[in-house]
Amino acid sequence: MVAASAPPGPGAVSGCRLRRRHRVLARLLVAPSAAWTLVFFVAPLVLITVFSFGRENLVTFNITFGWTAANYGAFGGSLYLGTLLRSLDLSLGTTLGCALLGLPLAYFITRQRPGVQRLLLAGVIVPFWTSFLVRTYSWVNLLQSGGPVDRLAHGLTGHHVEVLYTPTSIAIGIVYSYLPLMVLPIYVALERVNPELYDAAADLGARPWRQFRRVVLPLARPGLIAGIIIVGVPAMGEYVIPEILGGGKTLMIGNIIVSEFLDVGNYPFGSALAVSLMTILMIMLFALRRVQPALEAR
Amino acid sequence: MTQVSGNAGDSVLTRRELLRRGAALGVGVPTTALLDACTSSSSGSGASTTSIAGTAVMSNYPSWMGSHVVADFERLHRGSHIKQVSSASSSIAGTVQQLKSGTYDFALADASATGQAVAIGIVAPLDWSKIPNIKFVGQGFRQGFPHGIPTDYGKVGIGYRPDLVGEKISSWHDVWRLAPKFSGKVVFIDIDRDCMGSTLKYLGHSGNSTVPSQLKACKDALIGIKPHLQAFLNTNVGQGLQDGSTVIAMDWDYDVALNKQKQPKIEWVFPAEGMVAYIEGWIAVKSSRHLPLVETFMNFALEPKQYADFVNTTGTAYVESAATPFITKAIADNPVLRPGQAVANVEYEHFLGQATALWTTIWQEVKAA
Repeated sequence: MVAASAPPGPGAVSGCRLRRRHRVLARLLVAPSAAWTLVFFVAPLVLITVFSFGRENLVTFNITFGWTAANYGAFGGSLYLGTLLRSLDLSLGTTLGCALLGLPLAYFITRQRPGVQRLLLAGVIVPFWTSFLVRTYSWVNLLQSGGPVDRLAHGLTGHHVEVLYTPTSIAIGIVYSYLPLMVLPIYVALERVNPELYDAAADLGARPWRQFRRVVLPLARPGLIAGIIIVGVPAMGEYVIPEILGGGKTLMIGNIIVSEFLDVGNYPFGSALAVSLMTILMIMLFALRRVQPALEAR
Repeated sequence: MTQVSGNAGDSVLTRRELLRRGAALGVGVPTTALLDACTSSSSGSGASTTSIAGTAVMSNYPSWMGSHVVADFERLHRGSHIKQVSSASSSIAGTVQQLKSGTYDFALADASATGQAVAIGIVAPLDWSKIPNIKFVGQGFRQGFPHGIPTDYGKVGIGYRPDLVGEKISSWHDVWRLAPKFSGKVVFIDIDRDCMGSTLKYLGHSGNSTVPSQLKACKDALIGIKPHLQAFLNTNVGQGLQDGSTVIAMDWDYDVALNKQKQPKIEWVFPAEGMVAYIEGWIAVKSSRHLPLVETFMNFALEPKQYADFVNTTGTAYVESAATPFITKAIADNPVLRPGQAVANVEYEHFLGQATALWTTIWQEVKAA
């Protein structure tokens, strides 16, 4: 009791000060990134949301904030819904494509010696060192009529392949551009796995395919889910690749949003489209997050 | 940016003017600017002798300027600078919003964007007495671009390969008729004003139509031909004509002329139904504090020799016949680019007012179909 009523000793005071100092230091450390997020992420997001309820005179470009929901109503039109479905379709297809290519590739890399692994990882990352636009435009040369792909197909089958400016060329471009974003998280997940697990599975009689299905796939699942999110979300809003490889014939929702901002100058409607797309993606992400533990536990 | 104004031709300075210049010197105006203000300044072509100094900022396309126009001008007018920013937009909204930003003194803009900017009241009216060289520009072009100095235009016609098509094309009607036969080898321009304008011409309407029923018919015609199109392109539209991967292209005159230099089998068609054309030029921004400088530079750039430098650098279709002797033969002798009789059959694109939104919606519907 005496101890309880006695004033805190010098040690307790300095401990308290230390904790307070740590707290202040921690806040100071987080302040730059918090300020950055606030100014360059939260503020634009709030601004876009506010804009989405405005109305614009498309001759004077003056915006009035009457808090109308008309912009959201227009999103329900067949033009925008159809484009949204096409984006969803392409995004799902390309994410699946990235997963089908990325998983075996990541597994293959993890099974190599450390030196070779580093070399192969560099091979995955090096394309990021060149401009995204240059890489995408290079596909125009590869896929165009009379290009290497066409010549190869003609040499092998006797038929020409007209891929450029079709949804297929957009899908190829997206898979190519986003593949590293799928490979890296899967690699990280598999790289932590003790290689002896694979040997144990083999010792127990699991053939390579069964080994892959029963051991590799479950262990790669956290990386796979992360890859699906990292690839699927930006692929949904992609607009540069469809613009270059789609030949202006296949619109994705990202193209319409860009067009509303840059060509039409209709900021309120463009904002409403962007907010709607973001809401849809958030719903999908939350749904995935809910089922993620169950998926990982399987 | 500091500007010293005053009549350079005056030999007598008022006391107030002398004090003002002294104050300007005190705040660091370059001596050259003051010297320039005290000496006669002329482009040698009847331009006004108003003194100019300072920096005028221009929104322009990259390299869309004669190779030595700016350097020549700055040498002639010491203390005057033209700063080009490669930010010009091909979209009306982009252009108008740039002009509203107050960043620029003058800008390259097409007639549609200019019309909208005029409607908003952000274009400065020019003092034509300071731009006497406007007389070198053809009357039709001046009418098509009345609020600034026209610099170039682009007719939207047809480029095709007669050797691959096997028959002569002379109209938009031929393009629509032949598209199924050459499915996947036809390209159209990916800009609503040019593509829809040409389609409206095909349908026998004005390329600037704002009539909803006509625009609906335009949409139907484009959606009808779309399955046969290889692509809608906004750059290198006619490039495929060179190797034959494209056999028919809705294309701009300069692009066809450029491709024809590499593939002589390419032919250019002035469609029988008529053509639309964009017309571009420089406009001054109302908020500019350097209007005398801008006007002097506009006048200078319109001198036939300087204008020829612009044409030779860009390879564009040109608006000054007087510049022809100074233009390289490859361009001057090219019937596609020369401002000849065919221009009479051209309808220039202009501002569509409230119908702009309808055009945009229809264009998006065509692209999304």
